[in-house]
Amino acid sequence: MEFHNILVPVAGAKADEGAIELACRLANRKNGSRIFAVHVIPVERSLPLDTEIASEINRAETILTHIEEIARRRNCLIETDILQAREVGPAIIDEAIEREVDLILIGVTYKKHFGQFCLGDVLPYVLKNAPCRVLLDHQLDESEV
Amino acid sequence: MYIIIVGGGRLGYYLAKALLDEGHEVLILEKDAAVCQSINNELGSICLRGDGCEAMTLEQAGTSRADMLIAVTGEDEDNLVACQVAKHKFKVLRTIARVRNPRNEDFFRQLGVDVAVSSTSIILEHIKHELPTHPLMHLLTIQEKELEIVEVTISPESITVGKQVRELSLPPESILSLVIRKERKPTVPTGTTTLQDGDQIIAVTRPESVEALKSALTGS
Amino acid sequence: MKVVIMGCGRVGAQLAAMLDKEGHQVTTLDIDAYSFRRLPPEFGGSAIIGNGVDEETLKKVGIEEADAFVAVTQGDNRNVMASQIAKHKFKVPRVICRIYDPLRSDIYSLLGLEAISPTTVFAQMLKEKLEG
Repeated sequence: MEFHNILVPVAGAKADEGAIELACRLANRKNGSRIFAVHVIPVERSLPLDTEIASEINRAETILTHIEEIARRRNCLIETDILQAREVGPAIIDEAIEREVDLILIGVTYKKHFGQFCLGDVLPYVLKNAPCRVLLDHQLDESEV
Repeated sequence: MYIIIVGGGRLGYYLAKALLDEGHEVLILEKDAAVCQSINNELGSICLRGDGCEAMTLEQAGTSRADMLIAVTGEDEDNLVACQVAKHKFKVLRTIARVRNPRNEDFFRQLGVDVAVSSTSIILEHIKHELPTHPLMHLLTIQEKELEIVEVTISPESITVGKQVRELSLPPESILSLVIRKERKPTVPTGTTTLQDGDQIIAVTRPESVEALKSALTGS
Repeated sequence: MKVVIMGCGRVGAQLAAMLDKEGHQVTTLDIDAYSFRRLPPEFGGSAIIGNGVDEETLKKVGIEEADAFVAVTQGDNRNVMASQIAKHKFKVPRVICRIYDPLRSDIYSLLGLEAISPTTVFAQMLKEKLEG
């Protein structure tokens, strides 16, 4: 199975690394496939959407540089972008539509919230609204093993 | 401008749509999760689920940077409280409330709501305009200056038909600014303008003099 | 004392009964006639069906001659609005308003309403019990 344009939303979790490695394997490089790694900064309503929050931007750049480095080790060039949005899920979907991707690939570690398994808000939204295929790459959270 | 709309009903939805088209940043606050979701699906992430009368929700909405808050839920009391909390706690400069009971219009203004709009009053004004029995119609209220711009129609029964403007005893601070006569260009009346049946007169006056102006112009 | 109580729930009905027993002239107001079942059979005041955020209704229940107005319906906003009508429009000398939401209660206290938040009062009471 090979894909043309792959969107990999990254949040700074360990699971991002596995996801980007998988994306590098799935991309058809001979065909000029592209991989986009994006980090979405959620901006709370008390601030205008285009506010530049230095700490968040620094963090996003660190995350994306790290992801780029991992891809490079696999001889894979990726494009990175930082987005600002009120909500993460819709931002990912908009980006997928705009970039005409044929796959959204997300690394996940299952979280527990108040002692219960929880998928969060973003993943269900993406699964429900994605214009293309979605792969969730579930990895064990080693800190919890 | 950043505009917050409290209430995601039909009125709130269409207001948001129109304001977005004009390029404003808009946020709707809506209690009902399903309504909220369908707005977000249609208009993008512009609806926040929560009670717009609650200080905590308004805080989350960034109300202190809002230029305007419009409360259009179906309940007068909710609209009042949303506006008052926005005004007094978050210092929002302009607050607008929809009122169901037209009697609340003035009361809301007394309590600090900048604009109170009653669809009942608006429709009533239109009805008055359509009915020939109502010779007077309010066109515009300039609240800061305490001025009313009104339109008075001269009917055949008006005892002023055939009289000149200078013969009329107009209330103080009232100005006749325009006469619109059938099939003729509107003119600015002078002291020697003679009133005719069917004249529409646009006049500026004080709110308390509106009735006196009407009787000076129509004799009733 | 002539008192108008808006909202004939548990609190409203009990307050009405207590004041009535002490010989005050009490009028209770509720949008639902079924609420008046909470009033004791010997209640000597009047019970009227109507919406307290409407000026006409308030006039009908004698707000103009009232010495005190108490708003204890389930809706914070309804209480707030009716209290402001009683205070600002009808100049009732004493107006007391229940507001569950503590934040809203603080705001209206600053705006000059005598507001009580049962949430705050009860939490405080429980804390004192626990510590006592």
